[in-house]
Amino acid sequence: MKRTLPLLMAIVALTGIMALWVPDGRFLTPANLLDLVQQIAVNAILAFGLTLVILIGGIDLSVGAVVALVGTVAVAVLIPAGWVAAALCGLAVAGLFGWINGLCASRTRMPPFIITLATMLVARGLALRFNEGRPLPVPNQERVFLAMGNARVFDLIPVPVLLMLGAFVVTGVLLHRTAFGQHLYAIGGNREAARFTGIRLARNETVVYVLCSLLAGLAGLIHASQLYSAEPGSGQGFELNAIAAVVVGGTSFTGGTGTLPGTLLGAIIIGILDKGLNQAGVHFSLQYVIKGAVILTAVYLDVRRHQAA
Amino acid sequence: MSRFQTLHRFFHVAGATDAGSSPAQPGPAASSPGWLAGVLAGVLLATGAGCGRPPDEGAAPGSGGGRLFAVSFQTMNNPFFVDLNEGLRQVIEANGDRLVTLDAQFNSLKQKNDIADVLQQQPAAIFVNPVNWEGIKGSLMEARRRSVPALIVDAPVSDPELVLCQVASDNVEAGRLACEALARVNPGARVVILHLSVNKACIDRVAGFRAEAARHPEMRILDVQEGKGTTEGARPVMRDLLARFPDLNAVFPINDPSALGCLSAIESAGKSGQVTVVTVDGSREGVAAVKAGRLHSTSAQFPREIGRVAAEKAYEHLAGKPVDKDVQIPVRLITRENADAIPGTPPGASNAKQRPEFRMARAPGLAADR
Repeated sequence: MKRTLPLLMAIVALTGIMALWVPDGRFLTPANLLDLVQQIAVNAILAFGLTLVILIGGIDLSVGAVVALVGTVAVAVLIPAGWVAAALCGLAVAGLFGWINGLCASRTRMPPFIITLATMLVARGLALRFNEGRPLPVPNQERVFLAMGNARVFDLIPVPVLLMLGAFVVTGVLLHRTAFGQHLYAIGGNREAARFTGIRLARNETVVYVLCSLLAGLAGLIHASQLYSAEPGSGQGFELNAIAAVVVGGTSFTGGTGTLPGTLLGAIIIGILDKGLNQAGVHFSLQYVIKGAVILTAVYLDVRRHQAA
Repeated sequence: MSRFQTLHRFFHVAGATDAGSSPAQPGPAASSPGWLAGVLAGVLLATGAGCGRPPDEGAAPGSGGGRLFAVSFQTMNNPFFVDLNEGLRQVIEANGDRLVTLDAQFNSLKQKNDIADVLQQQPAAIFVNPVNWEGIKGSLMEARRRSVPALIVDAPVSDPELVLCQVASDNVEAGRLACEALARVNPGARVVILHLSVNKACIDRVAGFRAEAARHPEMRILDVQEGKGTTEGARPVMRDLLARFPDLNAVFPINDPSALGCLSAIESAGKSGQVTVVTVDGSREGVAAVKAGRLHSTSAQFPREIGRVAAEKAYEHLAGKPVDKDVQIPVRLITRENADAIPGTPPGASNAKQRPEFRMARAPGLAADR
């Protein structure tokens, strides 16, 4: 709780600033805030997975490409076989990539940065093989698939938000309420010490990469649904935006510290910045500068705090 | 708030940050104000930057009168779209209204979110240059739900039902003109096409070229290859093609950047003057190559004109007049004969009395990278 308090304060402050800055009080309307949570859903789900990976001292650069690949696979399967098969095939492809990442990271001495850089290229290339790189539309009659990204429950709560909350609860329970989660903190804190206490490093590490990829798969399904199409070129840079949410949320890049609620709040902060600056009419070039400055400040302060403690 | 006052405030808050997390008070408690101040500092910087920017970049909503218009481009990292934006802005500001420009960075999710953000502010109309001609559908449906008219600029969409109108270059004609120019100097050309096959505008250009080529029985299209629409992408492909086809004597790269790559390959293969290059764009670099006699022709597009016409269509609609669904901006063939008549580059000096065909302010570049 102590860790999340500064983040909550930052959210309150940012919301206050945007409420004053965006003209005609249009920021703090319920419709706009619902829009906000819907917009952060994909990034937050990717960030949940990356939190686990970064927590054990790893990294996964392939998530953005996996989003694109899962989208193309799912839409390609969707047209002949329906939404259940589409979702399962999409998640299976994501799981396969996670398994390869995890196997390479845990059984070899290759650095995760390079492993996932390579699998990112493989996933991107496979996605672009589909439909020669052109977007593939989702037929209008695929109501269930389209609902995943666009529908609202009771005409109010967007489905992507519910999926995001579901992913948050499942991942959060795994990380904060199980022995598995405790082991991840131990591995991230000190690998060798964790090994000597009898934690099965390789198995835990592989599971983490698989979980991260599966979450990317879920994000990919939502993304394809939101775009009414599979877009092989989409998802570029998603990994970086998700990493930004993770580090702003207080997860240390060296591993061992960080929480899932922190990541959710980090994703909200990034979302408020994106939306607020857009609505305040800030020139797009300056939006990048401001976002970069905020990330740098947040991480700097986090690092200082750890040095001091 | 002046720029200096804001800077002062920024540094003041940043100073407070240091004090807040000084090593004298370690631990999370000490960092709380630090976090807050850090984020605040960033946002204050934003406020200052927002207020202090040059007036020509469009005012923030709320800072001026008039109605709000918004445009979302697939990228602003291309002079073509910078010019198109200028064309929109001039008309909109002349009407006392304001334009917000959004850069999707080739990211369709960002484009969707950007458009959702701006729709919350109930703009008078939005202009969209879609990243993904399928994926833009959700945004267009949302605009319709809010009764905000949507106009498409430069790149077509798959579902024209959802938009008020589409304004783009006549790309079929641009390709046709290129082939016609080639046929005049080399009716029995052995030609290769360097395509960018994921791009609708380029698909149209190639269709126009092929249609015209069919009218010249002597002409042969030897091969169609991907040139990626860039100078560095086209160069190696062209070199391979020159080696593969000894009788190759003409090439149609679909835009100026790839034409420059072809020229470089032709010159390094020692075949200067033996291969006729015709292309589409009319960028500053392309026109210069035409003047130098390296490039035979380029069919010029007029991005500023696309922007101007799109903005005028929006105003016509808002005034209750019917608007054509499909507006094509004419292109113009530039060869050595008329290249000198094209004025160089008076950036920003867009004289309203100039004929649109001659308004060649900045390099148009590639119509759409995707």
